[in-house]
Amino acid sequence: MHTTTKIALFSATALALFGAAAISDPLPPDLTYRPLPSLPFSKVKQTDEAQKPAVMDRQHALLGDRYDLSDRTIADVAMSGGRKGVQAGVRVKTAPGGEWDELASLTPQQIRDRNLLPLGFLPLPHVKQATGGQVFPEKQIGEIGRDEGRDLRRFDVDFDLPDHLTPEFPPPIFLTTHPELGDVSRGDLLTIRNFYEYMNGIVTPVQMEGLRLLLTPFPQEEFNQTEDRKVAAQSTGVACLDCHSNFHTNAAFHLTPDVRPQAERFRLDTTSLRGMFNQQIHGSKRSLRSIEDFTEFEQRTAYFNGDHVSATRKGVNLPDRPNQVAMMAQMQNIIDFPPAPKLDSAGRLDPAKATDRELAGEKVFMGKGRCAECHNPTQSFMDNAMHDLKLERFYKVGQTFNDQVAIPDGPIKTFTLRGIKDSPPYLHDGRLLTLEDTVEFFNLVLQTKLTRQEKDDLLAYLLTL
Amino acid sequence: MMRLWIVAFGLAVMPSLAAAQIGNPAGLAPDTRFKAPGVPEANQTNYQDRLFAQLMTAGGLAEVDLGKLAVSKTDHQGIRAYAQQMIDSHGKANKALGSIAEKSRMPVPAEPGEDQKMARSHIDGLKGREFDLAYLANQVVEHQKAASLLAWEIGSGEDAALQRFAMETLPTVLEHLQMARDLTAELTLQAQAAK
Ligand code: HEC
Ligand code: HEC
Repeated sequence: MHTTTKIALFSATALALFGAAAISDPLPPDLTYRPLPSLPFSKVKQTDEAQKPAVMDRQHALLGDRYDLSDRTIADVAMSGGRKGVQAGVRVKTAPGGEWDELASLTPQQIRDRNLLPLGFLPLPHVKQATGGQVFPEKQIGEIGRDEGRDLRRFDVDFDLPDHLTPEFPPPIFLTTHPELGDVSRGDLLTIRNFYEYMNGIVTPVQMEGLRLLLTPFPQEEFNQTEDRKVAAQSTGVACLDCHSNFHTNAAFHLTPDVRPQAERFRLDTTSLRGMFNQQIHGSKRSLRSIEDFTEFEQRTAYFNGDHVSATRKGVNLPDRPNQVAMMAQMQNIIDFPPAPKLDSAGRLDPAKATDRELAGEKVFMGKGRCAECHNPTQSFMDNAMHDLKLERFYKVGQTFNDQVAIPDGPIKTFTLRGIKDSPPYLHDGRLLTLEDTVEFFNLVLQTKLTRQEKDDLLAYLLTL
Repeated sequence: MMRLWIVAFGLAVMPSLAAAQIGNPAGLAPDTRFKAPGVPEANQTNYQDRLFAQLMTAGGLAEVDLGKLAVSKTDHQGIRAYAQQMIDSHGKANKALGSIAEKSRMPVPAEPGEDQKMARSHIDGLKGREFDLAYLANQVVEHQKAASLLAWEIGSGEDAALQRFAMETLPTVLEHLQMARDLTAELTLQAQAAK
């Protein structure tokens, strides 16, 4: 037989065997790709504006159902800049019959079948899931408007959490290169207008250039010049530090780039950039291996849409790897955690400085609470690994809340706990509002059955980090 | 997703969570009529709704059809129970979908798609364990696809009734997927043990 005939025959058999797969159509392209708008900008804007009150009401109703949103702070505790209190108490509401002690006595299966998982433990939807995109808090919008005349306000949504549940603004800045100086922010927000004056004399020329780039706005998905923007006037865009204000976080949020379809993308709460120098993997899911990779890539895909196609249409900035990216990375890598005077060099409490309660909390953290298995004190309370907490053991997947379909989180990077009182809300999507909430969350997920006293001790300990 | 209506979940949602779907208006059909500012009238569709209705209907018909085949051919009790559930559950869903499609004037197919027919004839040619495994493999893929399509409709449809259908159906489809995966695991582990 001729080789060609053989191949032809072989292909025919292959086709017969796998024919079903070969003719089966792929799913529609906009499960993966963003469709272009089907209406003119003016019409979309008008409809978005008309929908906005209902959008905000619906989100506030969901938040009110899930959480106690009141303003109650822990006495005598402040965030590291001393300008904002730390919110107190467990804020996630429990279902009737599912109070914390009862939950701890049930198996995951029982909690799932009886629908008892507190709703605040479920993924938190974006304020407008179907559109998604970056949403900035009022204070950031105001400050950038005043200082740079740049508009960060969307016409379709507002920020959804009350201000007292977000980090202090503007946050302090601590440098690894100048521990002796303390906070170098001058109590102000770093912007493209003031950074040179504030940082000259403290940073190197390379770091200064990196900082300039981190403060330079570039067109992005919702803030750009095309008709699918969500800002009233054509926009010059967004800068890295619009979310990572002063290299920390202002709780601006977004949707993960890593998941499609849109309805299943999870919300992302902006992470702090403090202590990046010790972090080996970046992004809650992407596990990018260097700060350089992360920096380069965020601009490539218009910040968190995982979509180089629509980013390209709106204009991308492609920073030069050996020059610009390296400088941006070097600037980020000198940002320190806030001081923790009670910790020694290995991240353990100094018994001479810590209270009995804090020491008891450390014992829970290292032992019965199992926290240190992932939050390793010698590694800035990380382990540079991702873990699947398997929360879906406790609830039925596939339910829709405010247009978001709740699917399992899967493996997520372990976050640092250094300076943790400064960065509410907690978890990758900001679903937990206070440190007490996180204690209840991990107590349930890890089934550690901590006592009231142990939980209180653990909180006292977390506040020292 | 633009209409204001109350979500009545059969599953797990507390009544207080009932909320309206509100989508990105950039994806509305250009001729959409509004009953109030920002609120489209009922039973209007965009292209996502119409394509979704086509694909879901074809898939649903294939499910019932294959379910009947499996009930008649399998010797495995678990698979027979599963297949019967597919007949009942997808039969019910097809009816619900059909009535929404009628109200919103969307024509839907009367039989499974070409690829589904081919898959059926391939599976029909097998016997015993081979048949069981091929049926389950088909079920895993079809339910994976259905789950994606349902999430797509929830995120980008315009017809609120159709979106409510998608929201109610998705948890069930994921349950079916889990059952098919579990049955596959059971069968393949048995196969390994037998070796
Ligand atoms: C819309 C707000 C926003 C903007 C703008 C933004 N970030 Fe982020 N940043 C985030 C969020 C949210 C995450 C968490 C991402 C994740 O979990 O995948 C993050 C994560 C990071 C991380 C990894 C941190 C970690 O803990 O894994 C780095 C580094 C980073 N950003 C740098 C940048 C740089 C550099 C820019 C500008 C090119 C930038 N970011 C722009 C919100 C933002
Ligand atoms: C199996 C590993 C593991 C263990 C054990 C663990 N954590 Fe975590 N922790 C994680 C991961 C992973 C995340 C990120 C989860 C997410 O965002 O969905 C996290 C996040 C957190 C956060 C939120 C951080 C932030 O910036 O939002 C806090 C607080 C926290 N853990 C405290 C604890 C405490 C207290 C314990 C012990 C009771 C504990 N963890 C045990 C892995 C672990």
